[in-house]
Amino acid sequence: MLRVIVKRLMVSIPVLLGVLFIGFMLLVVVPSDPAAIIAGEGATPEILAGLHHDLGLDRPVMERFALYIARVLQGDLGKSVLNRAPVIDELLRTIGPTAELMFCAMLVAVPLGIGMGTLGAVTRGRWIDRVVMMVSVAGLSMPGFMIALLGIEYFGLQWGLLPFQGRGGPLWTWDGLAHMVLPAVSLGSILIGPIARMTRTSMLDVLGLDFVRTARAKGLGETRVVLKHALRTALIPVVTLIGLQAGYLLGGAVVTETIFAWPGIGRLAVSAITSSDFPMAQGTILMLALSFIIINLMVDLIYSWLDPRMRQ
Amino acid sequence: MTDQNVALPALVPADASRGRQLLRRLLRDKIALFMLVLLVVIVLAAVFAPFLTPFDPYRTSLRSRNMPPDLVHWLGTDEQGRDLVARVLFGIRLTLASGFTSLFLGGFTGTIIGVTAAYYKRADNLLMRAMDVLLSFPAILLGLAIAGIWGPGTWGIIFALAISTIPPVARVARAAALGVVNQDYLVAARALGLGDFAILHRYVLRNCATSVLVYVTLRFGQVILLGASLSFLGLGAPPPSAELGTMVSQGRSLLFTAPHVALVPCFALFLIVLVLNVLGDAARDIFDPKVQQ
Repeated sequence: MLRVIVKRLMVSIPVLLGVLFIGFMLLVVVPSDPAAIIAGEGATPEILAGLHHDLGLDRPVMERFALYIARVLQGDLGKSVLNRAPVIDELLRTIGPTAELMFCAMLVAVPLGIGMGTLGAVTRGRWIDRVVMMVSVAGLSMPGFMIALLGIEYFGLQWGLLPFQGRGGPLWTWDGLAHMVLPAVSLGSILIGPIARMTRTSMLDVLGLDFVRTARAKGLGETRVVLKHALRTALIPVVTLIGLQAGYLLGGAVVTETIFAWPGIGRLAVSAITSSDFPMAQGTILMLALSFIIINLMVDLIYSWLDPRMRQ
Repeated sequence: MTDQNVALPALVPADASRGRQLLRRLLRDKIALFMLVLLVVIVLAAVFAPFLTPFDPYRTSLRSRNMPPDLVHWLGTDEQGRDLVARVLFGIRLTLASGFTSLFLGGFTGTIIGVTAAYYKRADNLLMRAMDVLLSFPAILLGLAIAGIWGPGTWGIIFALAISTIPPVARVARAAALGVVNQDYLVAARALGLGDFAILHRYVLRNCATSVLVYVTLRFGQVILLGASLSFLGLGAPPPSAELGTMVSQGRSLLFTAPHVALVPCFALFLIVLVLNVLGDAARDIFDPKVQQ
């Protein structure tokens, strides 16, 4: 197990460097010159050149990249152009709510998707199966913001059942939980379709295998065969799928946070970019990419835990 | 010796019989057939949008703002009094065109990278590791990054979607090409004096085409959804444009008074993507050798 972790971490290093490089280039290629902003209007070329030298902007790009990595490693991501707040503080403040939202979305999507897929596989070809397949294709085809808007329209506005603006506090309070329902369901809904489809396909494969026949021949009830024996094996490709969809979920979180005014990192990223707050935009993109890498790492570990063949 | 002078065995089955076979299978699948008809209707409606509606999608009219659907404005009007039928038709046009462009760019580049990786063993590792790095940028993140550099715009979205299409296509193309590069007939073709380029073109690319096309078809719906999300976030062309995602985000503040302004483009997106997804599934089933038996 430890070897798997170490190996995966080694593979992540070039990816991380690539991510840092793209994040770094983001600030290099932006059209605005930081020195010109600091010097203000009417600065002479000599002053600008001096500032360029002081800021290290006259050095080769690769050298600046190395300095940048050194800075990032010390946790220094610069300051927001808008309110001078250190970028790292804002990131640490917003990552929690985003993680919370994604976790709750998974809590909605994973059991529902696996349940639907298993049901579809067991009732293969009958009407329940057809309904499951139709619902999952429909879910796969909906824009991420559609469920959110429908939820706001009906549960929020017309029936007035649930709040849909911001975060209500910690999850264990009533208010916090109520504020979480609509965002979590609309974010989770984009994953239900893919998970249900993958579970169904994989379950159908597994149900035809010898060990399932053996279990049935032993006289086990069908429920026990499906839930205890087949499901665990059938889940392996589903876990891979969830890992592959993690990026999609992260992107969905950006949209969901923007719609529900959720104080997370996705909303911060969008507002930073639309208001040209480049250091903040760079920080959020780095942080989002980093979370994506970490999620994939975790999925790989779960995968190797589920499938003993992967541990070798 | 040019490659025309060499008589080479036909690898790909004759196109006509393949096409007929495909059509027969498609005809058997009623739902897929219905979706295909629907897709043709949608595409025609998008192409001939200016002739189908008397309304200008950009012309505002303060007198008829936020009107619910009626006989004149079949889908109602938006917050500026623009006719929603016209705006949705133009939006579909833009959506299909930008989705297709990004798939074409990404699919083309991805195929070349995948085939190169499979054919030139020395480039394989480097190219595929580069693909891994690219793969660790979710499409939305790429869109955010590109919008951060260039500022919002439709081309930024197209490029983000194209770039995010490259790595998976490269993987698909590489896998398909690897099945070809070690075959005896490639050795034979080389012995006959065919150059690398001719071999790649005549054998390797053609054998990858099916896998790549099926993958790209399956991805079409997803690309449209991602593009809609990006323009919803305000990273697409600025508001007066008839981008479906932008229209939804503009109509968002009117949910209480005029919900149709946001929901109509939502449903339009849903319909297109549903059609594309069902057709993509059908295409995969038809071409998947496992299902054929």
